[in-house]
Amino acid sequence: MNTFQMIKGQLWIHFQGRTFIYDGTKKQFGKKAGRKDTAGVLFSPMPGKITKVLKALGDQVHPGEVVLVMEAMKMEYTLKADIAGTIEQVNCQVGDQVVLGKLLIKMKVEVKP
Amino acid sequence: MPKKISRIAIANRGEVAVRIIRACEELGIETVLLHSEVDIGTRAFRLADKTICIGPAATSESYLNIRANVNGALGGGAQAIHPGFGFLSENADFAEACEKAGLIFIGPSPKTTRILGDKVKCKELAKKLGLPLIPGYEGENQSLEVLVNEAEKIGFPLIVKAAAGGGGRGMKVLRSKAECRELIESAQREAQAAFGSSKVFLEKYLDHAKHIEFQIFGDATGRVIHLMDRECSVQRRHQKIIEESLSPSLTQDLRRQMGEAAIAIATQAGYKGAGTVEFLMQDGLFYLLEVNTRLQVEHSVTEMVMGVDLVKAQILTAQEEPVFTAQQMILPRGHSMECRIYAENSYLGGVPSTGILGKVEWPEGPGRRFEYGFEEGDEITPFYDSMIAKVIVWDENRIRTIQKMQRVLKDTVLFGVHTNIPYLLEILSHPEFVQGTMTTGFIGKYFSEPLKQPPLSIEEKEFAEQVLKTVADKAIESQSPSPWNSFWRGV
Repeated sequence: MNTFQMIKGQLWIHFQGRTFIYDGTKKQFGKKAGRKDTAGVLFSPMPGKITKVLKALGDQVHPGEVVLVMEAMKMEYTLKADIAGTIEQVNCQVGDQVVLGKLLIKMKVEVKP
Repeated sequence: MPKKISRIAIANRGEVAVRIIRACEELGIETVLLHSEVDIGTRAFRLADKTICIGPAATSESYLNIRANVNGALGGGAQAIHPGFGFLSENADFAEACEKAGLIFIGPSPKTTRILGDKVKCKELAKKLGLPLIPGYEGENQSLEVLVNEAEKIGFPLIVKAAAGGGGRGMKVLRSKAECRELIESAQREAQAAFGSSKVFLEKYLDHAKHIEFQIFGDATGRVIHLMDRECSVQRRHQKIIEESLSPSLTQDLRRQMGEAAIAIATQAGYKGAGTVEFLMQDGLFYLLEVNTRLQVEHSVTEMVMGVDLVKAQILTAQEEPVFTAQQMILPRGHSMECRIYAENSYLGGVPSTGILGKVEWPEGPGRRFEYGFEEGDEITPFYDSMIAKVIVWDENRIRTIQKMQRVLKDTVLFGVHTNIPYLLEILSHPEFVQGTMTTGFIGKYFSEPLKQPPLSIEEKEFAEQVLKTVADKAIESQSPSPWNSFWRGV
């Protein structure tokens, strides 16, 4: 039921019963900067199947590292960590059919010496 | 003698045009949509068998143009016209023009419409039948003594209004005998200054009344029945927002009395087809407000609790065929509620929102019904009423119905224009609404200010950021602008 659509440069989102337009930060396209306001949570961007889970509870991740791979509509989709930290929660496993917007991975910001 | 109709012209637009098309389809009747220039990219246009453009966007030149509608119907080869609601549906001149042109008008006769549509004639008829009207004074004697005396007879609070005026101007509320003289004199002076006549009317002010209406239906034999009541107290400046059936506020006795009153006035006026008798109910007493000689927007909730199809019934009646013959078998079951979806910004006080519709998702399921005239890619224009859809639910009782409506509205997706869904959700969770004690003053009392838009929660922000990233990544990969824009539509 969670869904989104880009309409004339505006991002319309329907999430958990509420519809809103999201502006986000101005520089979105073309820049894959690690954003500090993302709290290290990965939601599934579309309904699909989890094909690979590359990290486990407690593993360390750095920005850009692939955490899991899913498949939907014959396309493969990689979800990457964009913070430096540790895996706090793995909420899915290989083979799971997930809905759009499902919380898959939670990461804790942590820089181990 | 049954007359077979094989093609009906629809003199309306939006969701009701679709509603009429559905009924015609089921009866094997072809449809001709009489539409304006800007209503080409609409669902009714796509569903109709034939379409005839009857004028430009402006309603006066299209939907309110009697000649254009009659000519369009004839040109489209229709034998009958269904006027829907609003526009020309209660215009006796239109009904007459149709008949003169040899077209069957699906609705009551011009004579019936002229009696019941005229406030003065309707009141006279009601008085003759002994039906209760809102106590008031409209006499010629305008001396202060008589007016004060009449005011005391009516009881407080009451309204004094300019006879020659309207639009709420020159209206004053009198709350006690003490302020009577002074306020009536003041109202007379203002009336003189504003409208050139100091003549005033007095009317009891029902400040905590409920709007209750009865669905009536007159069949081809002239027999009039009623199909129970609806409550429509949730209104903003007389515009209905939420309607339900049956009213949670009527005792069996009141229901019986009001139903009989509704049948009485409709029968006396020779009513044929679908109509509604509206009342105000306060402190266990009811007063006739007016009679609407047309199908109403909220007819759907009656259909849900009574298990009937009013539009098909209208068409069959126009064909002189029997409907609702087993009246004793039609009993209400469960509860139904309707929310009107308006394209407006709830956080800006209901400012209309226009634009091209994006993704639309209606969460279908048992006891859920959606009436809509637009789909993804259609444009919501500023020329007409901003109601773009109706959401109707049915359940075993009122509480479950409210819960279901909340669930359905939360799961409804409508992108591209703002809607009043946030506003509806606030109303549906208000304790007075949940208890069923709301009156016509409900919106004014609790919802006159624009809704406050709550800031995004952390979860919402996270999801939105993730989505943004998704879209950005996809755009970079495919080396093209955002792949999510998709608005072309084959017409």
